[in-house]
Amino acid sequence: METPSSDSPQRPIYLDHGATSWPKPPGVVDAVHDALTRYGGNPGRGAYKLALDTSRAIHSARRDIASFLGVRDAHNLLFQPGCTQAMNLVLFGLLAPGDRVVACSMEHNAVARPLNALAARGVEVVVVDADESGVLDADEVESVVAQAPTRAVVCQHAGNLTGAIQPIPDLADLAHAHGALMVVDGAQAGGHIHVDLAALSVDAWACSGHKGLLGPQGVGVLYLAPGCEPAELVAGGTGGGNSEEPLHPVVRPDRYEAGTPNTPGILGLGAAVRFLEHNADSLRERERELTHRLHEGVLELPGFSVLGPPLGEERVPIVSLVHERITSDRLAFVLDRRYQIAARAGLHCAPWAHRTVGTLETGALRFGIGYGNTHHDIEAALDALSRSAQEL
Amino acid sequence: MGIRSRRTFAVLGFLSTHDALDAEETLLDAGLDVVVIPSVKSIESLCGLALRLEPHELEAALLRLAEAGIEVSAKGEIEDV
Repeated sequence: METPSSDSPQRPIYLDHGATSWPKPPGVVDAVHDALTRYGGNPGRGAYKLALDTSRAIHSARRDIASFLGVRDAHNLLFQPGCTQAMNLVLFGLLAPGDRVVACSMEHNAVARPLNALAARGVEVVVVDADESGVLDADEVESVVAQAPTRAVVCQHAGNLTGAIQPIPDLADLAHAHGALMVVDGAQAGGHIHVDLAALSVDAWACSGHKGLLGPQGVGVLYLAPGCEPAELVAGGTGGGNSEEPLHPVVRPDRYEAGTPNTPGILGLGAAVRFLEHNADSLRERERELTHRLHEGVLELPGFSVLGPPLGEERVPIVSLVHERITSDRLAFVLDRRYQIAARAGLHCAPWAHRTVGTLETGALRFGIGYGNTHHDIEAALDALSRSAQEL
Repeated sequence: MGIRSRRTFAVLGFLSTHDALDAEETLLDAGLDVVVIPSVKSIESLCGLALRLEPHELEAALLRLAEAGIEVSAKGEIEDV
């Protein structure tokens, strides 16, 4: 028997889309189900019908996702186990001892930890502080990049703590002007804001499949521009090509997709992106409305403050808050226990970001808005925060 | 089911499954009769997918694939049914 976790009869309200999206839109669960029942072959391994059908389904998903993200050649849209693995591939595959990299102070541990490890191996890592809103100043970055030959500029597309959207086009321009690559962690951007990778001019862009892109966990995407060639982290079987070749192939996508792919995840992601293709505009508009209302409502509650850009400035649908007296863990516990509201307390795998905005010692309570959330959810969250602050 | 006679087909090889499926779609859209087959030794690869087509359609197929920017890694022939 399921142990009740709340004394409230109301339906659960999920507000942690910054961690993962839930529920999934129509078609995603069916696509995963089909992957396990209809497309059970190993794609690329075998030319019999079952394997071919699976291969074609993945091929179709890749092209649809590439199209949605503005990737002109689907060879350059690679499937990865997740954004973390994709960023590891790019960073460990591109950077060598002696290289210099300039990074944003708001990076998630999926970037910060590889950079820390690379620094220990002799890569010079220069971190540029974002402002109090969590936004990087492109001019300041340029002045740092210009100081010495720089291999790459690394910056998140949008913050998982503040929701702040970084000036990626400007950063890409300055990086290229100084001979550096532009590497972007797009985990919080994909699906929540319009992304056109052809126009963005970045060299590498990674994204989770399971956050704003609304797919299942266990899959992510990596865009690599032509000419951006990180060394592969994994070598092995690829299905196509010639197995007799002793070395791993360098053709894309095979070079970066050794081993059996996550077919259920990829097909689920394909279905999610097809949903977004028809619904992204309306979904994003609703997310903007709900984010604004939550931000505005929190500011009206005594003792609370909101991290990131001021009310009215653009952000992805994340609202993180702190209370002058009550710790975020207490708030999160009460919100879940009494009101069945899911929100995430702590450091959000982003100590660099918390250090930048001054919440490393306290953490914050993060709300992530997404598919399925309603105005009722936001008003319920605001009511719960108000009551909790009075009681704790 | 009757016994079919062996005859010669053209075979095209590709560097990846992705390219093979791009090619299949391109050639089917062009009205050519192509079939995906396991890769064959005559194109020096026993792995991956290849396309089998009628010999008289080979030239048209290569032209279409070149126009689409799809790289053919190998060409050969097989006796098949």
